[in-house]
Amino acid sequence: MSATVILGVIGSDAHAVGITILEQALSAAGFEVVNLGVQSSQSEFVSAAEAHEGDAVLVSSLYGHAEQDCRGFHETIEAADLDPLTYIGGNLSVGQEEFDRTRDRFREMGFDRVFDSETKPAEAIAALKADMNIAESEAERARLTS
Amino acid sequence: MLRDTRLSGEDLSRIDEKIRADWSVEEIDFEEAVAYHDSLPRSKQFARVLEDADRPLLQPRAGVPRLDDQITLLRHLEDAGRADLLPTTIDSYTRDNEYEKAQRGLEEARESGDDTLNGFPAVNHGVEGCRKLIESVDAPIEVRHGTPDARLLAAVTFAGGFQSFEGGPISYNIPYTKEHELAETIEHWQFVDRLAGAYTERGVTINREPFGPLTGTLVPPSIAIAVGLVEGMLAATQGVRSVTLGYGQVGNLVQDIAALRALRELGEEYLPDDVTVTTVFHEWMGGFPPDEARASGVIALGAATAAIAEPDKVITKSPQEFGGVPTKEANAEGLRTTRQLIDMMREQDITLDGVEREREFVEKSARSLMDTILELGDEDVAQGVVEAFETGKLDVPFAPSDSAESAVLPARDDDGRVRILQFGDLALDPDLRDVHTDRLDRRARAENRDRSFQMVADDVDAISEGRLIGRPGGEGA
Repeated sequence: MSATVILGVIGSDAHAVGITILEQALSAAGFEVVNLGVQSSQSEFVSAAEAHEGDAVLVSSLYGHAEQDCRGFHETIEAADLDPLTYIGGNLSVGQEEFDRTRDRFREMGFDRVFDSETKPAEAIAALKADMNIAESEAERARLTS
Repeated sequence: MLRDTRLSGEDLSRIDEKIRADWSVEEIDFEEAVAYHDSLPRSKQFARVLEDADRPLLQPRAGVPRLDDQITLLRHLEDAGRADLLPTTIDSYTRDNEYEKAQRGLEEARESGDDTLNGFPAVNHGVEGCRKLIESVDAPIEVRHGTPDARLLAAVTFAGGFQSFEGGPISYNIPYTKEHELAETIEHWQFVDRLAGAYTERGVTINREPFGPLTGTLVPPSIAIAVGLVEGMLAATQGVRSVTLGYGQVGNLVQDIAALRALRELGEEYLPDDVTVTTVFHEWMGGFPPDEARASGVIALGAATAAIAEPDKVITKSPQEFGGVPTKEANAEGLRTTRQLIDMMREQDITLDGVEREREFVEKSARSLMDTILELGDEDVAQGVVEAFETGKLDVPFAPSDSAESAVLPARDDDGRVRILQFGDLALDPDLRDVHTDRLDRRARAENRDRSFQMVADDVDAISEGRLIGRPGGEGA
């Protein structure tokens, strides 16, 4: 199998460094990556998930407006009759909130996993593989990249 | 067609009328606004305070949605942080011209008491709100933002008493947005600069500050300098007479000092004689360590650099940079750490080996880019820079904008200086390119690996992980 991941920065946010590195890492790990780039709207994520049959949607946000930007996101995904994994990562709130509180809030909104801005690409890749039941063996990896 | 020529008075009024239709803003009376500026004390004249200083002035970043909170915040930074110059950072919805969304965020903030916006929505607060802020503090305040189309923001904040305005058509487009055409943002900023020029001609000098750090991540000095020079030249054409050129710390002491010296020298050379050129140094703009003690170390290295290079202004960071918008206490701590270092170091006569050689290299590289820009535009810098970005001859690493190729990739050399790993179509002379490649080869050999994207990824994380260079082996290696 070859899993497809939709990747982008949501809302008005223009931080491009993280997704540039994540895109490289995901591709190297064998995923098909659709990188929407910065300043992507909810509907751009949903259309891309539909058009590319995305298995996972990875949302990035660093500027603190993630909660407003993600309101109604999971309802929109459901309304499109889609059921991808959804992850979000970055600096997800304005100010110095405890990350546990932030994680709970975004989990309640429907995200399957919530990551802080210290997360390495390898961690997100391991999570994707676990959630998609992709085996981690060398043989599997070879098959994935082929 | 886009040209680097001064807008006429008619253009200025026509555009002013058009932009005020974007959001219900009261009619702005230019004469009344000039009279308001004239009524302000000398201590609030931004350009005068900056240009007359005999040591680097310190300025933090700060912006919260509610007016009362912004006043409290700025007063704290003046009192507890002893900031010389104050900021007002604008929220991201305003930067997108989404005044409706900013209004909703502001109302939510007023109801809940939480900061639901990441800055101060100045257009929504209006001229009166801005003036109340100006009158509530002692130091001059700069508008800091990231708005590609900042025409309405400029009209409101200039009338509201602000005398310094950050940004420019390239530095607030290429690093900040995806879909704005460069030619379009140049036209929009011609209005901002012309408006600043109109105030200047009436004796109210509006200081303009191109945003030097660009994408804030391992930006090669020559690229940052070329962009600043172009924006300074465009502003001068519109009548701006006070320009502060910026540069963001990369963390190698020699390279940072060299770059600041090159920036000042080239600024004097490329900008017209009637423009007063000052410089601003931004403490590290990349990823910070999560641990506040280590973050203070990064800030202190920036302060040490500033103490030696003596820019006119330093934009400070807080030890809470890692976690988003800092508390006002942490913000003041960043100011105090910076001041302690600068005051201890600036009277020492410190000479570092290699600064002159690096400065020459940075200058030659910046000239190579500037020559190309002016040649492409047949001496018209506006046309030249559009053409240069279109062809990738001028480029910014990690740029989110469709108007840039973003093919340039930087990496640190074995000494931690930022070099270029992939050039794309960047217009650097071959002998200059060879220096970058040689230096990176040397690092690759020292680390026993190939020059590759992995180096870039490692370098992006290195400072937050406690080192300068992203050596293989990870944390603590």
